[in-house]
Amino acid sequence: MTTARLGLAADEPSIVQTVSLPAVAEAGRNIIRNVETVIDGKHDAVLIALTVLLAGGHLLIEDVPGVGKTMLAKALARSVDCTVGRIQFTPDLLPSDVTGVSVFNQAQNRFEFKPGPVFANIVIGDEINRASPKTQSALLECMEERQITVDGATYPLDLPFTVVATQNPIEMEGTYALPEAQRDRFMARISMGYPDAGSELAMLDSRDDTSPLSRIEPVVSGAELRAMMAAARGVFASGAVKEYAVNLVRATRDDRELRLGASPRATLQLIRAAKAQAALHGREYVLPDDIDSLAVAVLGHRLVPTSRALGHHHQDSTPLIEEIVRRIVAATPVPVGAQGRP
Amino acid sequence: MLVLLVLLLTGFSGLAPVLRGSAWWWVIALMAVVTLAALAGLRRIGVPRVLVPFAGLGVLVMLLTLLFGAGTGLLWLIPTPATIGVLTTLAEQGASSISEQTTPAVLTEGITLLLAAGAGVLAWLVHLIAVTLRVPAVAGLAVLIPVLIPGLVLSEGVGTLPLLLVAAAYLWLLRIDVRLGHGREERASMRLRAVASQSHASQSHASGSWVSGPWGGPGSGGGSLLLGGVTLVGALTLSLVVPTVATSGAGGGAGSLFGAGVSPMVDLGQDLRRPEAGPALHYVTTAENRPYLTLLTLDTFEGTTWTSDDDVIDQTNTVDAIDRPAGLGDDVETVEFSSSIVIDGVRSPLLPLPMPATRVNGLTGNWYWNSETLTVKGQNASTQGQTYTVSGFEVVPTADQLRTSSREYPADAVANLELPEERPAIIDETARTVTADSASVYDSAVALQDYLNGADFRYDTEAPVEEGYDGGGLEVVGTFLEAKSGYCVHFSSAMAVMARALGIPARISIGYLPGTRNFSQGIETFEVDSHDLHAWPELYFVGVGWVPFEPTPGRGSVPDYAQVGVTPAPSRTPGATDAAQTPRPEGVVPTDAGTDPGQAAAGDEVLTAIVFWPGTMLLVVSMLLLVPGLLRGWRRRGRLRRIRSGAGANIDGVNVGRGTGQGQRGGAAEAWAELTDTALDLGVRVSRTDTPREVAARLEARLDASADRDALNRDALNRVLGDLERLRFAQPGAAPLRGAGALADDVDRVVRALFAASDRAVRLRAALAPVSLLGAHSGAHSGARASERFADARGQGSTNA
Repeated sequence: MTTARLGLAADEPSIVQTVSLPAVAEAGRNIIRNVETVIDGKHDAVLIALTVLLAGGHLLIEDVPGVGKTMLAKALARSVDCTVGRIQFTPDLLPSDVTGVSVFNQAQNRFEFKPGPVFANIVIGDEINRASPKTQSALLECMEERQITVDGATYPLDLPFTVVATQNPIEMEGTYALPEAQRDRFMARISMGYPDAGSELAMLDSRDDTSPLSRIEPVVSGAELRAMMAAARGVFASGAVKEYAVNLVRATRDDRELRLGASPRATLQLIRAAKAQAALHGREYVLPDDIDSLAVAVLGHRLVPTSRALGHHHQDSTPLIEEIVRRIVAATPVPVGAQGRP
Repeated sequence: MLVLLVLLLTGFSGLAPVLRGSAWWWVIALMAVVTLAALAGLRRIGVPRVLVPFAGLGVLVMLLTLLFGAGTGLLWLIPTPATIGVLTTLAEQGASSISEQTTPAVLTEGITLLLAAGAGVLAWLVHLIAVTLRVPAVAGLAVLIPVLIPGLVLSEGVGTLPLLLVAAAYLWLLRIDVRLGHGREERASMRLRAVASQSHASQSHASGSWVSGPWGGPGSGGGSLLLGGVTLVGALTLSLVVPTVATSGAGGGAGSLFGAGVSPMVDLGQDLRRPEAGPALHYVTTAENRPYLTLLTLDTFEGTTWTSDDDVIDQTNTVDAIDRPAGLGDDVETVEFSSSIVIDGVRSPLLPLPMPATRVNGLTGNWYWNSETLTVKGQNASTQGQTYTVSGFEVVPTADQLRTSSREYPADAVANLELPEERPAIIDETARTVTADSASVYDSAVALQDYLNGADFRYDTEAPVEEGYDGGGLEVVGTFLEAKSGYCVHFSSAMAVMARALGIPARISIGYLPGTRNFSQGIETFEVDSHDLHAWPELYFVGVGWVPFEPTPGRGSVPDYAQVGVTPAPSRTPGATDAAQTPRPEGVVPTDAGTDPGQAAAGDEVLTAIVFWPGTMLLVVSMLLLVPGLLRGWRRRGRLRRIRSGAGANIDGVNVGRGTGQGQRGGAAEAWAELTDTALDLGVRVSRTDTPREVAARLEARLDASADRDALNRDALNRVLGDLERLRFAQPGAAPLRGAGALADDVDRVVRALFAASDRAVRLRAALAPVSLLGAHSGAHSGARASERFADARGQGSTNA
């Protein structure tokens, strides 16, 4: 159904179709529209989620329970016609529950690998901070390396591979907060936030009986998604824009209120995300505005504020971090570039 | 920069009371404009900041060479030794004419040079202080120099209006200083952070410095404002206090007509050579034969120069009773007269008097007459502004009385026979030859006079200087008698020296010729100007005393007693200017009631001064006020023209960013620069930390505030924005840009819409004081420059909202 629309034949992972940027923008709008049938009034969060998906990154959705974190993850996954894995993290979950396990096949007299839920194009990791650190790191290893090694055998993961993890803020009970090094693996972190009154009211009317997720149909195929990702990678980032990203990231390292700044990986992912965002706007080049709009999401979860700056925020650093990033963005000059240096 | 100019020009307008006319103002304006423009240009072309003042000084020197060097400079610009000579001479003339003239002074070339040099140096100084050293608050002090000058010269000080104008311009400067100060702090913190980010180790240092900043932190703007305020108040107070101090010091000799230590005769020559005559004085007299006005009598001759030993002042010699000249016999006929003299433009301790005078009334200050020469000199007093009445008498000896006078001179006259033995032979030879047939002292004197006054000799004020025999010394007289060309100094000293050689006591008097007659409605006034300065010999005759002679051809009049032919020559000789010449408006005679056209003319002048001068100033100031707006409009039109001319349109996009400077990449950048400048002018915040899109969003908000909310305007804005973004951030050569005409039309449309959407007050401010002009690299046209300038403009604008 959906493949016919974009004129792509089979869902063949090894073949990357080419697709024009306006088509990417169009498909992106379809996905967003699709997702927004179940998530009301969270356009920015949805856009960033889709951006991360398109950039081939991993997304961390962090918020209090019940605001639709999982709903967003599921809606996004369902909008794309591809394999979806889901892991509900619990304290007793083992790494092999994530990656898969080798079992002995008596008929064939050898071990056989049973792939875990991570073998999917989109993996939803629910409440990742409830799992033990050991299990968390198993997932995070997959995220970084996009392959799984079990019992000496290495199994590559299909592309696209995106983990959408949700977590409750750290002050909630029974959680293991992700360490800084692991948070760094996620391309972006978003918070859902509470819906405004109107959205909440509308939600009551539309979702009192059935699960709205059941109504969601895929709007793009996996092949199309791959094509869109390829198109996003081809977006041009000028020297000025790259310089801007570097300046922003460097500024986080020198900020008085930050104990830990963003890593070079952050710079890389910032540019990647910005390219995807530009592609979603159907633009063939990245604007500083793309960087600006993604800075909080891409940089925020990598930064650690000083305890002094944290002050009364000591329970939850997210608002403070957001404020700091916005300040840095506002204070960093936008390079005008050499205007077309090759 | 513009503010500096306004500050300077208003500052210089404070000179108005001390100078006549308004030509000087333009000279000063030209100098200030050119100097400041040169300095700004030097900065623009990338001369290091430290070197700009030096280069600027060079430009100043070249400018002066060009304007005043009389073409002596290499390529009219590079000063040569000859130029220095010319300039030095001019400057000396200027200085002497400043010291001679009363205010308001007539503009001579020398004064113009001094003014121009002063203006240039002041502009340079202000620029150095405000821009190079970055303490604009102090620049106000330099500008006070011209403002305070009238205070030093005139008793009433400078007018309130110029002072207020200067104060206003100065406050404007301070305001900009404060603004830029904030911008600087912001940039400084940026820079610091950029530096700090070079290494992690410097983090603590950087964050520490960031708090205070190298310019003293957020407090510095307020600090300079405070400093400025204090300076201003101090200056105002000073300018009110200074005049009372100043006037009394003026007559102390420094400003004398004949400067101390310099030969008065050489000074006299300089006065005569000055191309423009300055008014000296005017008078009415009852005398039949208008007498010369004596300033000084030189009775000591030391071989190289004539001097006067009038330094000793006898305080009992008050001018209400001057002695009868020594040696004047009772049988000589005298005719009493009185003269009323008004000083116009001489400032000197020497009082011009018709001799012999018996009484002087109406002087202010302490004046005493010299016991020997009877000339009057002031003690700590000056002729400036004096009006006085002189009573005296004409001595009318007959030729017989003179012819029969003996050679038995009294002791005080014998002193005037001294002549060094070492002297050119030509003096004695000539004296003997000329007087070979003379029977008496008188005949000898007349013969000498007639010889010098005769056809052989030529009156020339330039020749002696050019040939190096200026002055009155023996060598000079010798040379003069050979060259037979010179002016009164030479003729008088030649006659005096030859008379002494013949054993006749002789001395030289310096003063004024009777001047030009102004005759109207029965009142005869006489105008004396600096070209009427004169020197003449006086010879002693027993029984008559000192008798003046006139050996200078074409100058003055030969006294009746000294004429060989009995027919009295017309008292006016060719040298004196014609009476019927244009009446001088300032020639008011105080004794006249008011029917005198001179006074009417003076009234006109006063009227003109009252109406015209402030009017001119007002006009000039309002024109100056329009200048920023005009510059801004000029820049806007220039940009639109460049965009439209196709410099911004390169349809195939091949040349995008090839670094040629002009061309394609200029188009969208120019368009955007124009929009951001307009935004700045209209008070829309534009910061260099903004992305173009953010700026555009603010502009759109402004557009939406307008009544019509024309969507086409917004579309145009977004198209310009798109072009810029494409230019800056897209892959070079990736996509074609729009046509140039369309881009220019869009810019034009958006600019108009923005103006239409703004309040009237905002529009007015944008028209009169376009903030965007203050960009340090403003007006750069090439693409790279435009972007640089753009960044700067945005940096400056960041504190604007």
